[in-house]
Amino acid sequence: MLVRLAQLAPVAACILLTVSIAEADTGDARNGKLVYERNCLACHGAQGDGHGEAAEYMSTKPRDYRQGTFKWRSTPSGSLPLDSDLEHTLINGLHGTYMPPWRSLGETSRQDVIAYIKTFAPRFATEKPQDPIVIPPDPGYSAESVARGAAVYDKYNCSQCHGAGGKGDGPSATGLKDDWGNDIVPYDLTKGHVKCGDKSTDIYRVFMAGLSGTPMPTFADSLSTTDAWDLVHFIQSLSPLYAKVTVSGGLATGGQP
Amino acid sequence: MSNENSAMPVVRRSLRLLSGLAMLGITATVASPSALAAYEVITVTNGGTIDGVVTLTGAKPAGVPITVTKNQDYCGATIANPDYVVDASGGLADVLVYLKDIPKGKAAPTEPVLLDNQHCMFVPRVTGAMVGQMIKVSTADPVLHNTHLQDAATNATIFNVAMPFKGFTVTKPLPGNPEMINIKCDAHEWMHAWIKELDHPYYATTDASGHFTLKDVPPGNYTLVAWHETAGEKSAPVVVAAGKATKSAIMLAAK
Repeated sequence: MLVRLAQLAPVAACILLTVSIAEADTGDARNGKLVYERNCLACHGAQGDGHGEAAEYMSTKPRDYRQGTFKWRSTPSGSLPLDSDLEHTLINGLHGTYMPPWRSLGETSRQDVIAYIKTFAPRFATEKPQDPIVIPPDPGYSAESVARGAAVYDKYNCSQCHGAGGKGDGPSATGLKDDWGNDIVPYDLTKGHVKCGDKSTDIYRVFMAGLSGTPMPTFADSLSTTDAWDLVHFIQSLSPLYAKVTVSGGLATGGQP
Repeated sequence: MSNENSAMPVVRRSLRLLSGLAMLGITATVASPSALAAYEVITVTNGGTIDGVVTLTGAKPAGVPITVTKNQDYCGATIANPDYVVDASGGLADVLVYLKDIPKGKAAPTEPVLLDNQHCMFVPRVTGAMVGQMIKVSTADPVLHNTHLQDAATNATIFNVAMPFKGFTVTKPLPGNPEMINIKCDAHEWMHAWIKELDHPYYATTDASGHFTLKDVPPGNYTLVAWHETAGEKSAPVVVAAGKATKSAIMLAAK
């Protein structure tokens, strides 16, 4: 009987294991805790509240994980992010902030630390992220699209915060706060690199999904996909990384980088 | 043979335990929403009415007008202080009044709860909403507003939607938790509003004279709660008799 039990034990164990794997995240949060303590704790804090020892010296504050609120998401405004969204930030970092790329961690450690970071926000245990927003293919950068995008920028009052010239100096630029009460400024779109990525799809995502936790809202309910792409191209035209468009139309020099 | 016979029940027991655990898991995830869904809709034929008034007691603070710092050309230079909107007899406007723990009663509202951006202020300032009810946000203003909802308990953003031009409306779901929701417009930092989701439809906001009415209340003993953004919260017992109007007077002290 003991022999039989011993033989059956692995079967029962396998069933248990299958159940727990099916319900668990892909990463191992226990190992993720070690990865977090080694690499993330100094800024994001032992409690995941963004109050690590180094945080007070930073103008852009480290993310407080407890609300499940993230700027870089493929999901709609207010939704939890996908694991792949968090991994995107880990791989690429956030340009212009203290968050560096963590490519060196490797795939497994990244998955593990994501599983651990999610334990700071109880929402991850009870809520599912919404489906990612749909980003149709970029129809292409052109003078005509940039010109139409300038009209979209005007109609949608982007200048309210970002200013008529995109320098982040609109009437509502002052006194803005993030969800935690920290001062926050609208992005200067003429600077070049965009914090959440330089690809056209990154820019599209920012104003269609919004930057949760900041004043930047979603325009997905008011902006058509056609207008959105024109707006992307206009924003690109403000950047020194992109070819300038002359008033009479047509690219002054070169094309899309 | 006997070995096998005695071993098999062990596996069966394990499987039963597993399915039992799975069921527990399912029950646990469903438990919180179903607790909210406990409200039962019935046909209220002999309902009573609660006719009440909320009055501010104590000296009303002076209330410095809001200094408008953005879009002064449209919003004006100042906006009247919204902390306490009181009429000549002390009636306090913008108080959310609702019944606490009412197990059954009239049907849910079929229309979404409305929130308008009106001359750089939210209207209404506070309202109830029944769990499952949508919110319809509109704007009458030719400036960009954003309507940013946050869970008051956790600070988590529920959604933050751009209201880019005059005449734009958008209808969205609310989270479905019986909690207070803070609403702000980041672009105009003085703009605030509140919505409290409830698991029943017995709520009202006091009008300019501090009055409110709750209709079709099944007869019984209830607790009435009054919530005001500045004066805070107060509860009072209320007895509703069949087919009768019950008067209720709630005093909130100025802070």
